[in-house]
Amino acid sequence: MTGKGDTVRGTREMSMPLAPDWRLLPTAVRAVVIVALTVACVATPGFFSLPNILSLLTTVSFMGCVAVGMTLITISGNIMSFSLGATAGAAAMVFIVAVNIGGIGIGLIAALAVAALVSAAQGFAVGWVRANPIIVSIAAVALIYGTAEIFTRHSSIYFKPGTGIEILRGKLGGVPLEFVVLLCVTAAGQFILYLTRFGRNLYMMGSSFRAAEAAGVKTWRTVTGAYLWAGAFTGLAGVMLAIRYDGANMDYGVGYEYDAIAAVLVGGTLMKGGHGSALRTLAGAMIIAIVQAMLLLRGFRQEWQYLFTGLIVFAVILLHSSGERR
Amino acid sequence: MKASIRNDPHFRPLVILAACIVLLSAVDWGQWRFLSAATPFSTLQTFANIGLVALGLGLTMMIREFDLSVVGMFGLAGCVAVMTGAAHPWFGIACAIAIGLAAGIIQGLIMVRFALGSVGVTLGGLLTFVGLAHVLTENRSVPYDNFRVALLVNEPFAGLLSVRSGVSLAIFAVVALTFGFTRLGRDIIAIGSDRRAAMIAGVNVDAFIVGIFAFSGVCAAATGALLSYSLASASPAGLSDVLVPAAAAAILGGVSLGGGSGRPLGIATGALVLAVLRSGLNAVEAPPFVNDIAMGAILLTVAIGDGPYLMRRLRQLAARERTDR
Amino acid sequence: MPEVLSVEGLGKSYTGVRALHDVSFSLGSGEIRGICGENGAGKSTFVKILMGITQPDSGSIRIAGRARDIPGPRQAQGMGLGIVAQELSLAPHLSILDNIWLGSAGVPLLHRRQALRERAQKALDALGVGDWDLNGRVGALTMGQRQIVEIARLLARDTQVLILDEPTATLSDSEIERILAVLRELKAQGRSVIYISHRLGEIFELCDTVTVFRNGECVATKPVQEVSREGLIELMLGRPFDEMYPQHHANPDARNALVIERLTVPGMVHDFSAVAPRGKILCVAGQIGSGAAMVTRAAAGLLPDAIGRLTLDGKTLRLGSVPHCVARNVFFLSEDRASEGLFPPMKVLDNLVATRLYAHAPLGVLSWRALRRIATDLAERVGVDRNRLGTAAVNLSGGNQQKLLFGRTLERTEPGVLLMNEPTRGIDVGARAEIYRLMRRLCDLGYALVMTSSDLEEVVGIADIVVTMYRGRTVARYEGERIAMSTILADITHPAEQAAR
Repeated sequence: MTGKGDTVRGTREMSMPLAPDWRLLPTAVRAVVIVALTVACVATPGFFSLPNILSLLTTVSFMGCVAVGMTLITISGNIMSFSLGATAGAAAMVFIVAVNIGGIGIGLIAALAVAALVSAAQGFAVGWVRANPIIVSIAAVALIYGTAEIFTRHSSIYFKPGTGIEILRGKLGGVPLEFVVLLCVTAAGQFILYLTRFGRNLYMMGSSFRAAEAAGVKTWRTVTGAYLWAGAFTGLAGVMLAIRYDGANMDYGVGYEYDAIAAVLVGGTLMKGGHGSALRTLAGAMIIAIVQAMLLLRGFRQEWQYLFTGLIVFAVILLHSSGERR
Repeated sequence: MKASIRNDPHFRPLVILAACIVLLSAVDWGQWRFLSAATPFSTLQTFANIGLVALGLGLTMMIREFDLSVVGMFGLAGCVAVMTGAAHPWFGIACAIAIGLAAGIIQGLIMVRFALGSVGVTLGGLLTFVGLAHVLTENRSVPYDNFRVALLVNEPFAGLLSVRSGVSLAIFAVVALTFGFTRLGRDIIAIGSDRRAAMIAGVNVDAFIVGIFAFSGVCAAATGALLSYSLASASPAGLSDVLVPAAAAAILGGVSLGGGSGRPLGIATGALVLAVLRSGLNAVEAPPFVNDIAMGAILLTVAIGDGPYLMRRLRQLAARERTDR
Repeated sequence: MPEVLSVEGLGKSYTGVRALHDVSFSLGSGEIRGICGENGAGKSTFVKILMGITQPDSGSIRIAGRARDIPGPRQAQGMGLGIVAQELSLAPHLSILDNIWLGSAGVPLLHRRQALRERAQKALDALGVGDWDLNGRVGALTMGQRQIVEIARLLARDTQVLILDEPTATLSDSEIERILAVLRELKAQGRSVIYISHRLGEIFELCDTVTVFRNGECVATKPVQEVSREGLIELMLGRPFDEMYPQHHANPDARNALVIERLTVPGMVHDFSAVAPRGKILCVAGQIGSGAAMVTRAAAGLLPDAIGRLTLDGKTLRLGSVPHCVARNVFFLSEDRASEGLFPPMKVLDNLVATRLYAHAPLGVLSWRALRRIATDLAERVGVDRNRLGTAAVNLSGGNQQKLLFGRTLERTEPGVLLMNEPTRGIDVGARAEIYRLMRRLCDLGYALVMTSSDLEEVVGIADIVVTMYRGRTVARYEGERIAMSTILADITHPAEQAAR
C-alpha cells in the first residue's frame, strides 16, 4: 500500500522539467515505425504495384481474423489460445464438407458453429473451473488433430464441382473479399470491446479477476463468450482459407496461432490482459504483413519471414517494457 | 497416511502410469504385442524424445513461467547438429548445446533485465529460432550422412537402453539428486510459490530465472540434436509437435501451473506415461489418432482437475440442488 | 548507546518524482524506533533502500560505523539487516524449517539438515513457540503465526537490526501482544528494531523513539515520552488535526433493514444473526479468523457454500450470487482493494461505472455519454478530482482509491447496502476522516452499512451497533452507549472468561 503511495505523490506535484517524459515514448515510437515503414515501402521497387498490394491484403486477412479473435482472449486475461490454428484448419474442412452437402450457406453456418463451439468449450473449461488456459488449449490442439485424423486420415479434401464457390473469390470495389471480411471482423471486434457490456467486462476481468468477480461480473460467461467469438472469427479465417486454396487439410491452420499472437503483441496489446483493442491488432497484423511482403520483394526468401517476425516481436516487447517503467 | 498419499501430487503420475499399463495389457490380452520384450525399449526411445524437453519446460513451469521456445530450439538444434556434425558428431552436439545455452541465457536475461513475462519473450524466441532454422537450411530437409552415428545412437545396450535414452535418464538422475539434496530444489519451489517472498528472503531469483531458461534451452537442444542424428536428417518444420507431449508430461508429473509443486522424478514419470501410451498404442496397432486423442483427453482432464474453482463450482451445483428440492 | 545504523542525506526519485529527500537517520543498539507517516511519506522507499531492493540516488549508509552499499537483499542480510515486510516473504508451499533457512546466505549448497533443524528449533524456542512442527507447511499457519516464523528467520540469521513494516496490519490483538513481547525480548538482547506502523497506540506502547516522515522528508525524531498522540498526528499531517469521527445521526427508517438470519459458512461462521438497519453502521468485530470477514463476504454472495436466510427490506436476498446482490444494490468493498476492488490499469471513469453498465446498456450496447456524465457526477460526490477521470486507477492514492470504490455504490435508484471489510486499512490519517464522513453521508441517504474492522478504536468510533464474534460464533451485541473498547476486546479475545464472570 505504502509503495503505491510513493508514486502517487509525483502525479500531484508533476514531474521535474528536465526529466524525460516517458508518456510520449509510445507516440514517438509509433511515429518512427510509421515513417520507417513508409520510407522502406517507397524504397522497395514494386511494393506499390497492384499485384503486391492485393496479395498483401489477402494474406494478412487470414492471420488478421485469427488475431482479432485472439485479442479478445488476451484482453480477458487468458494470455493466448494455442488451438486457434487447428480450429482454423478444422473449420476449413468442415466448410468444404458442408458446402459439398448443402451449399454455401449451410457450409458457412456449419464451419462457424463448429469453430465457435470448439473454442467456447475451451472457454467454458477456462472460465467455469478456471483451468489453465495454456494447458487447455494445448489439450485442445491434440484433440482437434486427433479427431480430424479419424475423418480424413491425413488427406486433403476438395470442393465438388458446381458449388459456385468461385464467386467468393472475387473482389469488392477492387479490394479482395478477404480483406473486406477482415475489416468487418475488426469493426465487430472493436464494437464488442468498446460498446458492449460484454466487452467492458472482458477488460475488467483482464485487469483483475477477483475485482471483476466482486463487482458482480458473471466471469465464466464472459470468458466463454471471449472464446466463442475468438472461435467464430477463426472459423471465418478457416472458411476463407478453404475458398482461396480450393481445398483444405489440417495443415492449413498450422502456425496461425503464433502469427496471430505476434500480431496482437506487435499491435501493443499487453500479454497480461485488461488492455488492448481490435484496431491495434489490425495495425499489428498489417505491420507484420508489410514487412514480410517487403522482404519477399527485396529477394529474401520465405524462410526469412519467421526470423523477422520473431525479431519484431522481440523488439516490440522490449519497447513496451521500457515505455511502461517509470 | 492414506489421505496424505492421495493428496500428494507426486502420487498421481504413478496411478496414471499403472492405469495405462493395465489398460493396454487388457486390450492386448493374449496377443503379447504390448507385453513383449520390445515394448520397454521402444518406450524408452519415445521417452528420450520428450523427457528432457519436458524436464526443461517443467522447471520453467515450476517457477511460474512457460518456455514456449523449446519447440523452436528443438528444431533449430537438430538442424545445427546435422549441418555441423557430419564429420565430428561431438562437434555437432556441442554446437547445438551451445546454441541452446546461449538462447536460454539471452531470453532469461531479457526477462530479468526488463521485468518481462516469459510467454511473450519465448514467443519471440520461438519465432526467431524457427526462422533461423529455416534460413540455415534454406527451407529444406537436411540429410545426415554419418550413418554410423545414426545407428549408434539408437543401438540397444543392456537390453533396454540406447545412447539417447541413457543420456536422458542420466540427466534426469543428476537433476533429481541435485533437486532433492541441495538448497536449489527448495529455492525453486519457493520462487514458484511466491517469487517476491523468495527475493526478499535473499534468494537470487534473477540467477535462477536465467539458469532455468538456460537449462531448458540445453535440454531442448540436446534432445533435438540426438533425435536428428537418429533420424539421419533434420528439417526446420518437421519437429514442431513436441510442445503438446512436453507440456502434458510436466503437468501429468505433478507440476502445478500455480507454482510451488512438482519435482524432476514426477516429470520423468509423466514422460514415461506418455511414452508407454505411445509405444503401447503402436504395439497394439491402434490408429495414430488414438494417441492424440488419449493425450488430449488426459491433459484436459488434469487441467480441469487442477482448476482452482472446481470444488467451488461443484458445491454451487450441490447448493442449487438443495434449494430446488 | 553505540550506533548500529546511520543514514546521511538519503535521496531517491522515480523519473522525476521525489520519493525521498535528504533523509538522515540514526539508530542505536538496543533501540526500538517507531516510524510514522502518511502513505506516500517515503517510509517504504526508505525501507526498500535499507533492504537493497531499491538503490538511492544520493546519500550514504553506515552500518556499525562502516560506510556500505546495499546492492540487494542478500547483501543486506550479510550486514545484519533483516525485514519482516508488509506482505510476508514466506513460501507457503514450503515447511517452516525450509522457510526459516530460505535464501539464507549461511546455507551451503550441500548441507546437513540436522544442524539447520537444531538451529531453527532454537530460534522458535526463543520466541516461545518451540512446540511448533518444523515440518509443517507454512501455508497452513495463520497470518500471526507466519509473522513469528519471519521473526524466527531473522533470529536464525543472527540479524542485528530488525525492520518491521506494518507488522500488525493483518493481526489480531492477541497475536500483536505476542509480537510486541518478542520485540521487547530482542531489545533486551541488545538488538535494534525499526518499527513502522499506522497504529499510534503500538508506537507509544513499544517504541523508545519515534521518527516522523512527511512528503519524503524526515521531519522529526523524538523520544515517545515527549510527544502526545495529537502532536504526533499533527507532525504526520503537517497541519492541526480535527475530529476524526463524525457525529452519529438519528435513524431515519427503522423498519427497513438488511436482516441476516442463521448465516452459516461451513468451518468459518456458525449461526450468525444480526439486523443492519438502514441509516446505521453495523460493525462485526472479531480477530482475524473469527469469521467476521466471512459474514460480509457471504452476505455479498462471494461464498458459494454459505447457508442461511438474508432479507433486504423484507425481500429475500439469494446467497452465493454476486450479480444478484449487485442487482439489489448490495455491494462489497474488500479489505484487499488492490486485487479485489480496483481494476488497476483501467481508467478512473471505467472503475466508477463498473457496476452500473447494466443500467446503461440497452440491448447490451453502452451509452458512453450517459456513463461519462454519471462518472463525472460520482467523482464529484465522493471527492475525486473530475479531471482525473482519464488516469489509471493504480495511480491514485489509497484514500482516493477507496473513495472510488464508494463511488461505485452511490446514485442508485434506491439506497443500497454496503458490506465493507477493513474500510480504512492502509489509508492514512487525513484520508481516513474523509472516508468516515463519507460513510455517515451514506447513512443519511438511507444506506445500511455493515463493516468489519480489526482496529478497535475505529470500531468504537464509528459503529452504531457492534456484534462481537469469536471462532465463528456470536458473543454479544452492543448498541449506542454500551459500545466500549474494553468489553469488545474481552469478547473477541477471551469470551469464555467473560461468560464465567
